[in-house]
Amino acid sequence: MIKKPYDELSEGELVAASLDGDEGAFGEIINRYRKMVARTVKGMLGDSVFSEDIGQDVFVKLYYSLSEFRGESKLSTYIQRIAINMTLNELKRRKRFFSLFSQKENDEMYEMEIADCDYNEKREASETVNKALKALDPNFRVIVMMRMLQGYSVKETSEILGLPQGTVLSRLSRAQKQLKDILINI
Amino acid sequence: MKSSEIKKIMISSLDTDANLSEISGKLEEEGVTYDFSNNFREKVIDRIFSPGLIINRKLEFMRSMNFAFYRIAFTGVAAIVILLISIFLMEGSISLNSFLGLKDIDDESVICLLTGN
Repeated sequence: MIKKPYDELSEGELVAASLDGDEGAFGEIINRYRKMVARTVKGMLGDSVFSEDIGQDVFVKLYYSLSEFRGESKLSTYIQRIAINMTLNELKRRKRFFSLFSQKENDEMYEMEIADCDYNEKREASETVNKALKALDPNFRVIVMMRMLQGYSVKETSEILGLPQGTVLSRLSRAQKQLKDILINI
Repeated sequence: MKSSEIKKIMISSLDTDANLSEISGKLEEEGVTYDFSNNFREKVIDRIFSPGLIINRKLEFMRSMNFAFYRIAFTGVAAIVILLISIFLMEGSISLNSFLGLKDIDDESVICLLTGN
């Protein structure tokens, strides 16, 4: 039997091969979804070495929970759920930890290291987006990140977050109001 | 693109009828992109498929915990010894009364102090 290259395999085939311990197949899953996970993790937590670690944790957790993936939803949805749960848990952990110390350290953890932007305008755009996301309430931040950075519809957002569509719509509207207030001061 | 335009795009992305693919495309054009480091894939694969690494990390963690415990314990013991020596030098003994600072106070003065009579 001729083996297809990994980049030509379907999601189901990649999952099955990964479950058999095929490193290359799981590596292909990482390649396909790393940017999506990066948008979620870095959009929610900021760009730092800690986000890189959380990103790794997401894929490690995915690998060990692949046997539970039944293919009822898309693999991207399944990964997105893991990424969001892990970033929300990390935010809670940070909140608990930093409430003992000072807000300043929390801010430092969120410091952005914008990667080699050639133009100041591009750097400015990236900084504006990240500052605004940082200032949002975490419940709104997740909605804004999914909408603005991932391009998810209301239906997809409600499926991933496990919330009724009405709740997502209401949070969108409140998030938009908060975002307007934040952007005035940036 | 000006900062004010980026802000408009951000706000419009939350409209229910927004063209989301167009918005994310515009943001990407303006440098709002996210990715992990170049060797991200290799790091994840190493963590999953190299069990030796995980065991090493656990051992390393236990070793650093041990080290931290000894440092805290030694500091604590040293602090207690210094405290006892300073009490002995100041009070001339290390009885409970001198430890509590009550060595030169007799029972009657304590009662007077507490009752106000």
